[in-house]
Amino acid sequence: MKFITKNLVAYAALLLVYSLIFRYTLSSLLEAEKFILAMVSGVIYGVLIFFTAWILGKAHTIKKFVFDAGLGFNITTYIVWGLVSELWFIFGFNSKYESIRSVHYALIIWGVFLVLHFFIYWRLRSKTIKGVLKSEIFD
Amino acid sequence: MLTTWEDTYKKGQLTLWIFLALKDGPKYVNEIRDFILEYSEGTISCEEQSLYRALRKFKHLKIVGFSSGKGHKGPDRKYYELTEIGLDILLEFISRNIKLFFNKKLVELMNLK
Repeated sequence: MKFITKNLVAYAALLLVYSLIFRYTLSSLLEAEKFILAMVSGVIYGVLIFFTAWILGKAHTIKKFVFDAGLGFNITTYIVWGLVSELWFIFGFNSKYESIRSVHYALIIWGVFLVLHFFIYWRLRSKTIKGVLKSEIFD
Repeated sequence: MLTTWEDTYKKGQLTLWIFLALKDGPKYVNEIRDFILEYSEGTISCEEQSLYRALRKFKHLKIVGFSSGKGHKGPDRKYYELTEIGLDILLEFISRNIKLFFNKKLVELMNLK
């Protein structure tokens, strides 16, 4: 089964852009001690990711018959977000109110959920034929 | 009550009718729809969208294939056909699920004689 589709690549590219803009906005707002606005920017970033994944993921599943229970999008988000966040700190673009520890904690907790997601996908995979749910082939 | 039963019954029949239409020979979507309407004696009608959705799925699963053919005036049409796997599935399905209705006792029960 082809996991890496055009939609997934487009999602990764958009996510990279969103993440860079978000990191820059977050660090700038925290540096200026505009904490409420920093929270709002986090919410906007989350909502934007959700809807982008929703739209591109739907086409990825329906048009290309890729049944991965959203795992490809979850892994992509984990990698892109993790990389951007780590590099942000490595290059020293972070504000004094940000700690790399929070990024590491988030990656560890998210990693646990990612493993759980993988098991869910693994179990559901036996219910599909070439990416189509058996129950939906002749419905 | 009867129509409710019929609605549920017909819903499950679309695949069989599509496969029968394609066993009859390669067809484009409108021809499949017309075949179903004609041979079901108007009892089963289906929207083009439902046919496209089903055919796309069957094509992905290699149950159905297609070739391009000339349309009347417009662009080329996709002529769908059953693949070898598709035909095997249909014949096996008929053998397991349809043939039994031709059992003498059942024919009598359904007052078809």
